[in-house]
Amino acid sequence: MKMTPEYLKAQENMHAGIISSSGFLGSDSRLISDIISNDEELVQALGMNFTEITNRLKFFMEKALNGFGNPVTVDEVWEVFSEEARGVIPCPFEDGSFKKINIYVKKKGSKDSIVFSDLGIHLIEKHHFFQGRDAFFRLDPEKIKKILF
Amino acid sequence: MDILTFIVAPMVLSLLSGALAFIIVLVDSLVNNYPDFTIDINNGRKKLTAKGGSSLLVTLSSQGIFIPSACGGKASCGACKVKIESDVGVILPTELPYLSEEEKKDNIRLACQIKLKNNIRLSIPEDLLYVKQFDATVESITDLTYDIKQIKLKLLSPDSIDFKAGQYVQLIIPPYGQIPEKTQRAYSMSNTPSDNQHAELLIRLVPGGLLTTYVHKFMQVNEKVVFTGPFGDFFLRDTKAEMICVAGGSGMAPIKSIIYDMYEKKNFDRSIWYFFGAKSARDLFYLDELKELERLMPSFHFIPALSNPDPADNWKGETGLITNILDKYLKTVIKASSPKEAYLCGSPGMIDATVKVLNVNGIASEKIYYDKFA
Amino acid sequence: MRPDVTPLILFIASIFTSNILLSNFLGMCSFISVSKDFKSSNGLGLAVTLTLTITTALNWLVYKYVILPLKLEYLTYIVFIIVIAAVVQVLEMLIERISSSLYMALGIFLPLITVNCAIFGVALFMQLRNYDFIQSVFFGAGSGLGWWLAIVTLAAIRKKVDVAPIPSALKGPGITLITIGFMAMAFIGFSGMISVQ
Repeated sequence: MKMTPEYLKAQENMHAGIISSSGFLGSDSRLISDIISNDEELVQALGMNFTEITNRLKFFMEKALNGFGNPVTVDEVWEVFSEEARGVIPCPFEDGSFKKINIYVKKKGSKDSIVFSDLGIHLIEKHHFFQGRDAFFRLDPEKIKKILF
Repeated sequence: MDILTFIVAPMVLSLLSGALAFIIVLVDSLVNNYPDFTIDINNGRKKLTAKGGSSLLVTLSSQGIFIPSACGGKASCGACKVKIESDVGVILPTELPYLSEEEKKDNIRLACQIKLKNNIRLSIPEDLLYVKQFDATVESITDLTYDIKQIKLKLLSPDSIDFKAGQYVQLIIPPYGQIPEKTQRAYSMSNTPSDNQHAELLIRLVPGGLLTTYVHKFMQVNEKVVFTGPFGDFFLRDTKAEMICVAGGSGMAPIKSIIYDMYEKKNFDRSIWYFFGAKSARDLFYLDELKELERLMPSFHFIPALSNPDPADNWKGETGLITNILDKYLKTVIKASSPKEAYLCGSPGMIDATVKVLNVNGIASEKIYYDKFA
Repeated sequence: MRPDVTPLILFIASIFTSNILLSNFLGMCSFISVSKDFKSSNGLGLAVTLTLTITTALNWLVYKYVILPLKLEYLTYIVFIIVIAAVVQVLEMLIERISSSLYMALGIFLPLITVNCAIFGVALFMQLRNYDFIQSVFFGAGSGLGWWLAIVTLAAIRKKVDVAPIPSALKGPGITLITIGFMAMAFIGFSGMISVQ
C-alpha cells in the first residue's frame, strides 16, 4: 500500500508527544501503510471482519458509558468501566476530533483485560488501523477475538 | 568539454538559482508584508491595532486578549470560536468539522484559522476581556490519590487573580521530552477567590495525556509555569436555594472552591448537599477536610459514596451508584418542598444521568448548572 | 528554423487540436485527483495556465540568452526545472495572500505543479520545435488554457457521473479513466488538422 501524503502526515502525527504522550506507534518503526496491510491480513486470517469488530467495541463502549465511570457487568461474563477526560483529541489522520473516552474491559475470572478509546474505534473503523506493535492503546486483533467475543 | 565548461556550468547554475531565489525572497517580503489593521471587539468596547499576517488567535493573544484554545491553533479542538462581524472570506475546510449549521449562519468562526488580512470586527463573551496571562511558580505538589495530584501555583506576575469560585484556567506547559510544542489544558481552580495569590488545581493522570503525564512525571516544585484565566460560566448563583452538588474525582475542584468560599463569606443560610461519588476507597480524598467542614458549617452535608468498594476498604458509608444515592436522599432525607439548585461537575455521561434523577425529583433543568468536561 | 505557424493559430491549436492533456497525455496526475471538485479544478486550471505562460516565456529567454551562448545545452533540463520551481513558489505565495480558501482547497497540488509533466513538457516542446518568443508565449498560454478546459470539462462530467449507476468495481478511478479515454478519443478527431511543428 502506498504512503499517500495523508498517510505521511498521519505517521508524523502519530509520534510520541504530538497528539498523545506515548503516541500511536509504540516502538514500531514500520510505515503505517505496512502496519495496516499486515493487520488487515491478520483480521482476515482470524476469520473476522472490520464491521463486527467495531460493532463489538461500540457495544462495550455503550455499556460502559451507562455506568459513567462505575463498573458495569455485561452478559455475566465481562466487567467494563469508562474513564473520561476533559476536552477532545484529534485523529492523526486529521479527519475529526473525539471525546477522550477510555473503555476498560475485563473478562470475569481471567486476567485478560483490554483498554481502548473512542478515537481507537474510529481508527479501526475508518482507517483499519489498530496502532503500532506495542503502543499502549494497541488493539491486537487476536486479543480482541479472545477477550471480546 | 574543456576545462572552462567545468567552471562555467556550475557557475551559471548557481547564478541562475541565486537570481531566482532572490526574486522569491523579494516577492515574499512584498506579499507577506502586511500593514497594521484595526481589530474592533464588541462594537467598539475594545479597539486594537495589530500587524496583519498572523491568525486572529495569535494576534489577539499577543495583545493580551486570550481566546480559549486547547490545541494551540491547529484546528483540532474547536475551543476558539468567535463571532465575526465583518467579512473574512468563506469558511475554511479546517473549520467545518467544528461548526454547527446554526453557528455557520451566525458567522461563528475559529479564531485560529482566520488570518488577519484586513480590518476586522468581532464579538466575544464580555468575560474574555478580563482574562489575563499569569506567570507562576509551582509552590507544592501533593498526592491526593494514586492518580490525582493537587498542584498549588503561586502567582508571580500579575501577582493576584480576580475570579469567581468555580471558574477554570488554561495551564500552559512548555515543550518537554518528545513534545515539540507547548500544550494547554483547562483545569478548574479549587482554591477560594480570597486566596487570590494562588491557583490550586486538581489534576488526574490521563493515560497518554500530554499535560497530565508531564504534571505527574516531570513537574518539579519551584518550576515556572504560565496560565491564562479565569474562564467559565460555572459559579454560584446568588439565590437562597438549597444546593445539590454532585462531583467525583478531580471534578471536585470547582465545588470545593464554591463551598469553602461560602464558608469564608459566612453564607450559612443555604443548605449544601455534596454527593461525592467514587469507585472504591482508593479514589477518595479530602475526607478529613470535608468532614471537618461539616462540623464547622452545619448547613453543609458531605455524602461520599462508593460504587465498588473493596472488602479490604471496610467502608461504612453509602454504597452504590451516586445517582441512586442522590435519588434516595432527594426522596427521603432532603426536604422536597424547598427550592433547589444543582451544581454538577463531571463527564457528560455522569451529568446526563444526574440531570435525569434531578428532573424526576422536581428540579428543573434551568436550575441545574454544570461544567461539562468536553 | 522556427516553424511556419502564426502565434494565433498555434494558440488555438494548443487549446484544441494538440491539447496537452487529451492529445499528449501530459499532466494527468493532478488532472485525475483535482477534477473531483469543480471549484478546485477551476482554481488549479488558472494556476497551471499562469505557470505555463510565465515559465515558457522565462525558459525561452534563459535558453536563448544563457544556455545557447555558453553552449550549456546539457544543462537544459535542470535549468528548466529550477525556473519552474521558482515560478511555482512565487505563485503559491501570491495565491495564499489573495485567496486562503483556494490555497487550502488546492493543498498539496499547488506545489505539485512543479513536477507536473505538462509544464516541463511544454517547455521542452518549445525548445525542441524551435519556437520564437511570441510563439512560445502563445504556446504556453494556449497549452494552459487547453489544460484548464480539459480539467473543468472532466470535473463537470464527474459531477454527473457521481449520481449515475456505475458498477461498484468501476466507481472512482475506473470510470474516471474511461471518461478521460472517451474525451481523448473525441479530441483525436482534431488530429492532423493543424501542424504545430
